[in-house]
Amino acid sequence: MEGLSSLSTEGVLLDLAAVVILLCAFACLGSKLFDRYVAYYGLQSLTLAFAAGVVAQHNGEAGLWVLAAITFALKGVAIPLATRRFLLERFHLNRDVALSTGLSRSLIVGAALTVFAYLTIGRGEIGVALVARAVVPIAVAVILLGGLCMVVRRHTIAQLIGWLIIENGVFLAAIATIATFPFIVEAGVFLDLVAAVLIMITFVSGLAHQLAEASATELRQLSE
Amino acid sequence: MTIALALAVVGLPLLPALLAIFTSRARPLGFTATAAGLLTLAAAIVLAVRLAGGHHTHALSGFISLDALSGFFVFTISVVVALASFGSAAYLRAEEERGDLRPLQVRLYFVFFALFASLMLASFETGNLGLLWVLIEASTLASCVLVGLEAKAVSLEAAWKYIIISSFGVTIALAGTLFVYYAAGGLQGSPTEHLTWSFLFAHASALHHDSLRLGFLLIVVGYGTKVGLAPMHTWLPDAHSEAPSPASAMLSAALLNTGMYAIIRFQALAGIGLGRHYPGDVLLVFGFISIVIGVLFLVLRGNFKRMFAYSSVEHMGIIAVALGFGGTLGLYGALLHTLCHAVGKAVLFLTSGDLVLRYRTRLVDDVRGVLGVMPITGAALLLGALAVTGSPPFGLFLSELTIVRAGFAASSPVLVGLLLLLLVVGFIALMRAATGMALGAPPNNGVTTVAYAERSGRLLAATPLVAGLCGLLVLGVWIPGGLNTLITHAIGSIT
Repeated sequence: MEGLSSLSTEGVLLDLAAVVILLCAFACLGSKLFDRYVAYYGLQSLTLAFAAGVVAQHNGEAGLWVLAAITFALKGVAIPLATRRFLLERFHLNRDVALSTGLSRSLIVGAALTVFAYLTIGRGEIGVALVARAVVPIAVAVILLGGLCMVVRRHTIAQLIGWLIIENGVFLAAIATIATFPFIVEAGVFLDLVAAVLIMITFVSGLAHQLAEASATELRQLSE
Repeated sequence: MTIALALAVVGLPLLPALLAIFTSRARPLGFTATAAGLLTLAAAIVLAVRLAGGHHTHALSGFISLDALSGFFVFTISVVVALASFGSAAYLRAEEERGDLRPLQVRLYFVFFALFASLMLASFETGNLGLLWVLIEASTLASCVLVGLEAKAVSLEAAWKYIIISSFGVTIALAGTLFVYYAAGGLQGSPTEHLTWSFLFAHASALHHDSLRLGFLLIVVGYGTKVGLAPMHTWLPDAHSEAPSPASAMLSAALLNTGMYAIIRFQALAGIGLGRHYPGDVLLVFGFISIVIGVLFLVLRGNFKRMFAYSSVEHMGIIAVALGFGGTLGLYGALLHTLCHAVGKAVLFLTSGDLVLRYRTRLVDDVRGVLGVMPITGAALLLGALAVTGSPPFGLFLSELTIVRAGFAASSPVLVGLLLLLLVVGFIALMRAATGMALGAPPNNGVTTVAYAERSGRLLAATPLVAGLCGLLVLGVWIPGGLNTLITHAIGSIT
């Protein structure tokens, strides 16, 4: 399987999509309102579906088209809608004020992480002359930013979305380097993702029933 | 034939899940689970004996692939499944009689216990590293339902921490798998082959270096989260202390080993691709941090299930150190230690189930005089603690001795000294708690005078304790020839 070269039209499109995905991760990190946070995640997933479509077009692989469609339907539409419907509206959550650090400070840390991703990954010999060389550091930065979202945001739903951003980062790295895992594996990954999100939503609503806010700041009973 | 056995090992644990569709009574479900556990163990033993002969099976373009290492882990985990299903039968029946669990919860417990066991066993039988990831993540999800089963605020908190931290970790492992896959990009062969362990192992020296190095690090951090290697262990004590005790036994004795199995496979690739020292050193670092953290928290006694959990962190660290020392001795020690720790820790967590049911507390200081109140459980607690801390004549003494010898063979006497020192501190801390609980006069609050279950229930609970301890005793004085061949061939398949 050969990667996209950085000069082809598809390569440029993939590059642009990766940049949008990175910006969405920053937007998630910087937004105060819950529904925006979820909306930016949705936008990021839609861009990812587009990027998968670009690679599918280039490689002419049916399996990849299917994955792009699943990404679109599941991560772009279903998960954001389900989060909004079953969690945000039901428990009247509007604003996530539970940040463990200031917004501007977390954005600065996010920028530092992005630079770190470039310095560590960008210099290696991964994907010389291919678009992967530019996209893999972006993907790693998205993974780190998702992790940062999970760390600085204390609400359980925010942590859930943070994890999904990480998942998007891994997927972006995958389509940029190897196009895709074998189809069975990729389908399994999606199944796991759906099951995980369902179980997490169940837990969050269980916690929301028992605690006033379902915020991870209240999860303090088990510390030693 | 081997394939049929492999499928049986994965399918048999699912029997109670099928029955749970029709009934939610703990008694029939428990009996089915025990029967299924024993049948799985029998199938696993036959499978392991076949694989010990150096028999290697490869089917469905590597999606099913079994060698002696798979055989060893299938055997170990099915021992734990069998022990834990006895424990589940007893524990769930007692909880049901007390009205602590609703029928739906009993049903959910047996369905997800079955899924958890089946998915873990399946993950040893695939040769495809991507499918391995899928199965390990799926087993995490099944087990986190067990952790949150009691649906109290604390257990939901533990389940939340567990699912979010492990999912995070496992996603990192997916990124690692991706880079290893990418490292094979330049090789001949189909994309599916590039993700098949046996193909990668045969071509490990031709893998792209940078990509393999990055992939291996991400794998150790990612699957290390599942193993409970410090500093990624933070979910572990919470999940282990809040899950129903037989599920804690499965988490500690089976799930952690599943993660370790994945690390062993990738270490074998990195050992050839990058030279033995690099992956070994990485594992030594994580291993020693884990032992230190585990031992330090053992000294702070409080909740005994948390103590046993920290002891698991310590032992996973010991296994990582053994893998880091490497060589035939190191690998032999690591595998033997995996088996012995699995049995010992299963016994201890099942004991803790009896204690929780009888004393209605999880605090070390509130439990006294177990030997007088429940002689078998008390004896199992003392002997289990002795076994897990590596005292002779139990199996863990032998495995730790092997690991120490491996350390000398790898000419790192300073590390061996440090290891021994930490083991001694761990021994003192755990034994101090265990003797305090087992000996002395029972507390005078009346809780302990009421038996928590009828006779047959207590018999069911005692069976795995006695069986497990006998097994450990045997392993301490004599390693059966079949097991020796299995471990030797398992080492042969990864070096």
